[in-house]
Amino acid sequence: MKTICRFERWRRVDILLVAAAFLLLAPVLSVQRTTDFMIFCIFVLAYDLLYGHMGRLSFGHMLYLGLGAYAAALCAEHLNDNPFFALFAGTLGGALAGVILGPIVVRTTGACFALINLAFNQVGYFLVVAAFAEWTSGENGMSASFAPIGGFDLGNRYLMFGVTLISLLVVVLLMRRLTDSPFGLLLRTIKENERRSIFLGYNTYLYKWLAFTISTAVAGFAGALSSLNYAFVTPSFIDPARSVEVVFAALIGGAGSVYGALVGGVAFMAISNYLPNFVQRWEMFLGVVLLLLVFKFREGIWGYLLRLQTARLGEKSR
Amino acid sequence: MILTVADLDVAYGKARAVSGVSLHVAEGEMVFIVGRNGAGKTTLLKTVAGFLAPAAGTVTFDGRVTNGLPAERMAVRGLRYVFQDKRVFSQLTVRENIELAAYPTGVKMAAAIDTVVGIHPGIRRFLDSKAGGLSGGQRQLLLLGRALIGSPKLLLIDEPTEGLAAGTIREVFTVLSGMKGHLSMVIVEQNLPVVSQLADRIYAMREGRILGELTEPADIKDRAKVEAFL
Repeated sequence: MKTICRFERWRRVDILLVAAAFLLLAPVLSVQRTTDFMIFCIFVLAYDLLYGHMGRLSFGHMLYLGLGAYAAALCAEHLNDNPFFALFAGTLGGALAGVILGPIVVRTTGACFALINLAFNQVGYFLVVAAFAEWTSGENGMSASFAPIGGFDLGNRYLMFGVTLISLLVVVLLMRRLTDSPFGLLLRTIKENERRSIFLGYNTYLYKWLAFTISTAVAGFAGALSSLNYAFVTPSFIDPARSVEVVFAALIGGAGSVYGALVGGVAFMAISNYLPNFVQRWEMFLGVVLLLLVFKFREGIWGYLLRLQTARLGEKSR
Repeated sequence: MILTVADLDVAYGKARAVSGVSLHVAEGEMVFIVGRNGAGKTTLLKTVAGFLAPAAGTVTFDGRVTNGLPAERMAVRGLRYVFQDKRVFSQLTVRENIELAAYPTGVKMAAAIDTVVGIHPGIRRFLDSKAGGLSGGQRQLLLLGRALIGSPKLLLIDEPTEGLAAGTIREVFTVLSGMKGHLSMVIVEQNLPVVSQLADRIYAMREGRILGELTEPADIKDRAKVEAFL
């Protein structure tokens, strides 16, 4: 009953394929738009570690993206305008949020998990827009200017594209290593049956906390990249209403797969960026897509392709 | 004694599920707990394993009072629990199921696989298949094999033959026979022929209490006496 998936044979060169895909996309969409796509894919990868692998649905993941974005911008404004330092600050901001909120959040499951993240996101949004408006410029947003490093200015869109592409490849490698490791295996058992994992000798609380923190750190990193890309940060970066976008992307691509997250990220960005040009109420189209996913393509685009390939290989072997 | 339970009370809210239970298991002993549905047998096992906290009484495992010790710590200390429902991690492969059991014990994968294959040689050809595709009997044998990884000190097994076909019951019986004398076990079971043939001692439970204990081999082998004991 050994199942072989031809896609698995491409794993040795998949990083090159991912790079090639985005390099080919750049002249089609534009370099800056492709950079947006890649940053969103990093965010989806972060989210999918929690949702796809650990089975925890969050409705407030924009909090961590936004924290990263604002941390990077504030770092540049008040501490150090080195863009890599800002990236570090953004990642650290996301990670700290995971370390501090994680002990509370990961005790919950199901709807409680989803809503407690939403609640924290709401709090974060309020802090940005009102409580700390003196720092963040509230609803107006704040500019984020970063110094050139050794003649390299990340304001140059080609350079920013290169940095983002390398960042995406690093995150893909990291997530693949994580999810293929015993740690990733344990996350999947927590998703399926946490109690049985406990009886095998695992302190699942600690592992959930760790996974949560990695997810928020990578989301913060995506936020910091957004800050560098736009040189501007607004409350929309931390808007709870936008948290559903990453959920859609994970579902469209196929939750629980690194490649699904990439496919979903690109698909969602394509729908949200280009469909409005043709369809006035494009959100309704998104709703129809979601219904199709729920009823016919639960495993998302990538999962569906894998299933087709497995079925074809199964037929050939008979 | 590898396990001593003294005056244990366990409650679900206001409902007392186990009341004043005392029992012991010596090293290498195979002790059975029999009783009708709802007698409190599974609740007793879960409390010993650390999943439930007792309202009163003590559990002493391997010389240490373990009240309040969580289930994962009990597992690390060498207590393994095989659940009644025969659920494996169905979305993972058989190999991954074994890997997960091996990792906390530090046992290498090859040795862990050998342990499981030693219980059920036929499982080797399913190593890379999803565990969810295994039959109920295969899953039970996988779970028993998995529980043996890392040389545990005590096995708690909840109704190992429940829902299995006659042939598979014989396989499980053979496995348990092979472990007899080498490993301490507490087994909840309602299949009295299996109990009679394997038990060193039998406790009977009803309504959360221990009714009595059968210790004489002649009494244990006498199925009529075991039925009457219930």
